[in-house]
Amino acid sequence: MHQFEVYKIGPEINLGGVNLSFTNASLFMTISSALILLFLFLGTKKKSLVPTKIQFITESSYTFVAKMINDTAGSSAKSFFPFIFTLFMFVLFANMVGMLPYSFTVTSHIIVTFVLASIVFIGVTILGFIKHGFKYLGLFVPKGVPVVLLPLIVIIEIISYLSRPVSLSVRLFANMMAGHTMLKVFGGFVISLGLLGGWLPLGFSVALTGLEILVAFLQAYVFAILTCIYLNDALNLHH
Amino acid sequence: MKKIKEIATRLEIAKKNIKNTQKNKEGSNAASLGKALKISTELVAAVVVGSIIGFLLDGWFDTKPLLTISFFIMGVAAGMLNVFRSAKKMHNNRYKN
Repeated sequence: MHQFEVYKIGPEINLGGVNLSFTNASLFMTISSALILLFLFLGTKKKSLVPTKIQFITESSYTFVAKMINDTAGSSAKSFFPFIFTLFMFVLFANMVGMLPYSFTVTSHIIVTFVLASIVFIGVTILGFIKHGFKYLGLFVPKGVPVVLLPLIVIIEIISYLSRPVSLSVRLFANMMAGHTMLKVFGGFVISLGLLGGWLPLGFSVALTGLEILVAFLQAYVFAILTCIYLNDALNLHH
Repeated sequence: MKKIKEIATRLEIAKKNIKNTQKNKEGSNAASLGKALKISTELVAAVVVGSIIGFLLDGWFDTKPLLTISFFIMGVAAGMLNVFRSAKKMHNNRYKN
C-alpha cells in the first residue's frame, strides 16, 4: 500500500556499501523528535506555579512515566527515567504523527520497532550481567525443578527470554499496521459504495480513527511498561 | 501556629484523597485493553522464536525436520509460560492493594 512505502528524499548516500539515504521514514522520525522537543520546550518555558495548558500536559507526562517506573521497576530504576521517557515519547509521537492524513507511520515498519526493542533487550541483558555477573544466568534456572527436567526447562526459559524483543516489536508493529490497513479498507468501501451505501463505512472509519488514537497511546504505554518490567528483572533478580 | 496546623491536616486529607482516586484508576478499561494486547503476542512470539532457533540448528547439524519440530514444541511451552507469568503478575498486582 502506498502509505507504507519507503522512498528516498534527496540524493542517494552510500557509505561503505550501506545505503544511508534520507527517506520519508527518516523524515518522519525527525519530525516526531522535533515535535517532542518543541512540546517539552514550550511546556517548560514559563514554569508558572499555576500551570498553563501545555505546561500541565508536559508535567503530567513526566509524572505519568515517573509513576510507571516507580510502580513496576521500583525506586532503583529511577536512574533510567530519561531512557524510558525518551522511548515512550518517541513511540507515542511517532504513532500520533502517523495518525495525521498523508503522513507516514514510522512504527508500522517492523525494522524500526525491532531496533527499538533490540536496544531495550541488549541494554537490559548487559545491565543484568554488569549488576549480577554470572548469577544473572540464574534467571534461566527456576527454583524447585527436578534435575531430570532441568535441561528442558532451561531451553524453554531461554526461548522465553529470547522471545521478548520479538513480542515487543511485533506487538507495536502489528497494531499500527493493522489499524492503518483497516482504516484504508473502510475508506475504500466508502468510495466503492458511493453516495448511497457509503455512510455506514464512513461512520466506521470515524469510530476506528478514535480507536486508533487510543491504540497509538496504548502501544506506547505498553512498550514503556514492558521495558520497565524487563528492567526490573535485570535490576532485582529474584524468582 | 494554628494556621500551619490547619494546613497540615488539610494537606493530609488531600493526600489521602489522591491515594484513593489512584487506587480506583488502576482497573480502568484502557489499562485492561493494554494487558490483553500484551498477552496475545507473547504466545506467538515464543513459538516463532523457538521455530527459528530449531530451523537454524537444523541447518547446522543437518538433522532436517527433527530439531525444528522439537524446538517448535518447546516454543509453544515457552509461550504458555510467558502467558502464565503475565497472568500471574496481573493477578498479584490486582490483589496486592
